Amino acid sequence: MKRITVGMSGGVDSAVAASILIEQGYDVEGLFMKNWEEESEYCSAEQDYKDALQVCDILDIPLRSVNFAKEYWDRVFQHFLDEYKKGRTPNPDILCNTEIKFKEFLNYAKDLGADKIATGHYVRNKEMDGKAQLLKGLDPGKDQSYFLYGLNQHQISSTLFPIGNLEKPEVRHRAEKLGFDNFDKKDSVGICFIGKRDFKEFLQQYIPAQPGIIVNSNGIKVGEHDGLMYYTLGQRKGLGIGGGHSNGDGAWYVLDKDLTNNELIVGQGHEHAGLYQKCLTASEIHWISGKAPENENLKAKIRYRAKDAICNITELTEKTISVEFEEPRFAIAPGQSVVFYEDDVCLGGAVIDKAFNS
Amino acid sequence: MYFDHSATTPLHPNVLDLMHTIQKDVYGNPSSIHRLGRKARSLIEISRKQIAKAINSDPTQIIFTSGGTEANNQVLKSFIQSEKNHVVTNPIEHPAILKVLSSNSSPKMSFDLVPVNEKGRVSVVEIESKIQEKTGLISIMLANNEVGTIQPIKEIVTLVHQNGVSVHTDAVQCLGKMPVDVKDLDVDFLSLSAHKFYGPKGIGILYFKNKDDLSPFMLGGGQESGLRAGTENIASIVGMGLAAEIASDELEIHISKLKSLESQFKTDLVSFFPDAIFNGDLKNKLPGLLSVSFPGHRSDILLAKLDRGGFFVSSGSACGAGDVKPSPVLSAMGLTNEINISTLRFSFGSSNNSEQVERLLSELHAILTD
Repeated sequence: MKRITVGMSGGVDSAVAASILIEQGYDVEGLFMKNWEEESEYCSAEQDYKDALQVCDILDIPLRSVNFAKEYWDRVFQHFLDEYKKGRTPNPDILCNTEIKFKEFLNYAKDLGADKIATGHYVRNKEMDGKAQLLKGLDPGKDQSYFLYGLNQHQISSTLFPIGNLEKPEVRHRAEKLGFDNFDKKDSVGICFIGKRDFKEFLQQYIPAQPGIIVNSNGIKVGEHDGLMYYTLGQRKGLGIGGGHSNGDGAWYVLDKDLTNNELIVGQGHEHAGLYQKCLTASEIHWISGKAPENENLKAKIRYRAKDAICNITELTEKTISVEFEEPRFAIAPGQSVVFYEDDVCLGGAVIDKAFNS
Repeated sequence: MYFDHSATTPLHPNVLDLMHTIQKDVYGNPSSIHRLGRKARSLIEISRKQIAKAINSDPTQIIFTSGGTEANNQVLKSFIQSEKNHVVTNPIEHPAILKVLSSNSSPKMSFDLVPVNEKGRVSVVEIESKIQEKTGLISIMLANNEVGTIQPIKEIVTLVHQNGVSVHTDAVQCLGKMPVDVKDLDVDFLSLSAHKFYGPKGIGILYFKNKDDLSPFMLGGGQESGLRAGTENIASIVGMGLAAEIASDELEIHISKLKSLESQFKTDLVSFFPDAIFNGDLKNKLPGLLSVSFPGHRSDILLAKLDRGGFFVSSGSACGAGDVKPSPVLSAMGLTNEINISTLRFSFGSSNNSEQVERLLSELHAILTD
C-alpha cells in the first residue's frame, strides 16, 4: 500500500482529496504547512489548522505540521516585493507552488517516508509516452493549472490530484456528507498572506509609496496617485478620478505606468485602444515536458481566469519568447504569467515582460 | 506502546474502578447536609488525608484545583496585590508560570529569570543576586518535565527564607518518582497534578503553608475554605487520593523499575547509536525520563516514524499550528538549534517492561539506519 502525504490547508478541497485517497486504499497522512509568521486578526492559520485537524480526526489519519515561513519569505515574498518595486504585478501563488509546495513540502513528505504527495488542486495529471502531463481540472470555473505551469516532470509525477475530475459543488457535497465542518467554508481569494486586509496598507509596510500624478494618453494631468505600485494595468476601480461617465467617454482605466517620471497613464472606456495588445515578450520560459512544443497555433492565458486565446510563439533566446495573439488581449500585465495550452494539456509558461502592438 | 509518561499517564486500574463506583453511586453534593452529601464530603476528606500523607503535610494545607496549571496560576496571582510582587523564576519553568508572569493580566507584577546551566540546573547564588526589596516569591520547579533535572529547592528555601521571601515549587513531575516531602523541602507552596501519577486528568492540588498567603482563585459557593469555589469533582478527587497513596506506597519499587528500564534503554541505544547525547543532569534527575538528542536526525521526522510503528514518545519542541520550534528549555540550557530540534523525550512508566523497551530500540535502530 502506497503512503501518500496530503497537503491539508484546512480547506474543503484538500479535505475531500484526502478522503478520496483513503477510499482508494492508500495509506494517507495529512501535513499542514505554515508559510507566514503572524499573529493577527488577518491571519487565519490557527483556524485553518483546527479545520484540518477536525477533518483528519474524522478520517482517522494523523495530521503533522511543518513551518516553511523562512523559505517562503526568502524565495517568494522577497521576489513579490522586488516585482512591485519594479512596477510589475507579480503572482506569488505560482512561485509558492514551484518553490514551496512542490519543492520544500514534497521533499519533507519524502523525508517522512511518503511515496507521493497529494493536493486539493483542480488539475489532473497523467503519463503520456513516458512523460508526465498536467491537465486542466474538469470544473471549468475552478481549473488551477495556470498556477501550476512551473512544475517539472519530477514534481508532477510525484503528485496525485484526487479532485481534478470533480466539480466544486460535488466536492462540497462530499465534504458535508463526511461531516467536515469546513464543507461551506469560503474559498480563499487573493494573495494568501494578505488575506482580507487592505492591499495598500499591507504593501505600505514594506515599500515606501511615491505619490505622483495621473495623466491621460495626451499627457494632460487628470488626477493624483498614491504610488505606482498600487495600480495594475487594466484597473478601473480606485483611481480617484471623478466622473468620466458624464461626458460619455466612459470610466477611466489604467493604460500604463511611466516609472521614470512616476506617472500613471489612464484612458477612458473599456474599449480604449491603449488597453489592448496583440503581442508580448516573456522570460523565464518553462516547458513541462522539458522542451518547446512543435505545434503551432497553441492557446494561451495571460492571467488566471482569462480565456484561452490562439497565439503563435517565437523563441527569442533560450529563456525568452515573443507571443503574438490572433486577436488583441485586454490589459496584459507585466509580472503575470502567460500560460500555454494544447486543448486541456498545460504545456508551460513564462513571465510577461512587455506588451505591445506590432 | 506508550513511552510518554511525563506528558500524562494511564489511570491505575484500581483508581479507575474506584472512580467508576463513585461516579455511579456517590452523586450527592458535598455541600448538602443529607446523608448522600455527607458521604461525598467524607470521601473528599479521605482523599485530602491520603494526599497529605503522601506529601507529609497537614490535610488543612491542601486545596483541590483543576490541575497543576490552576495551582500555579493561583499562587502567582495571590502576589499581584501584594507590596512584594516581584517574582524570581527561571526560563525552564512550565508556561503556567512564565505566561502568567508575562501576560497583561498581571501588569503590576515584575519578574526576573535566573539562567540555568548546561544541565538545566539553577544556581542558588544567582537567585540570591536577583532578590530585591520587592521580591515576594521564588518559583522554581522541583524537577523539569523535559530533561528531568532536579533543582536544589531545599538550598533555595534556606537561603531566601532569611530574606522573608516565599518559595513555590511546581512538583507535577515528581510524585511517585522521588520523595515529595513539604516539611523536608520547607516550601511555602507546591503544585501537583493527578494525571502525572496514574490519576485522572483535570484535577490537582495546591499545598500552602499559610492560608493567609493565598487569594481565592474562583469565587462562588465558598468550597475549599473559600479558596476555590465550585462544586467538587468528587470522583476525580477520590481517584487522585488513591493514586497518591499508591504512588507513595510503591515509590521505591517504581523508582527501581524506572531506573532499570532507563539503563537498559541507554546501554542498548549507545551500542548502535554512539552519537546519542543525553541531556540534563544525569546524576541528579528523575528516573525513567530521558532527553536524547540524535545529531543529524530531525525530531519531527523521528517522531512521525515512531508514531507510524505504534511507538509513542514526544519531542521537546512545541508543535502547534504548523510550527515546530526549538524547545525553550533546551535552548536555555545552551543546546544549539540543530541539536535542539533533533531531541526526543522518552519517559517510561508502570505500563512498560523490558521487552517493550527492546522493541522500541529495534524500531529506533531501523529508523536511524534507514
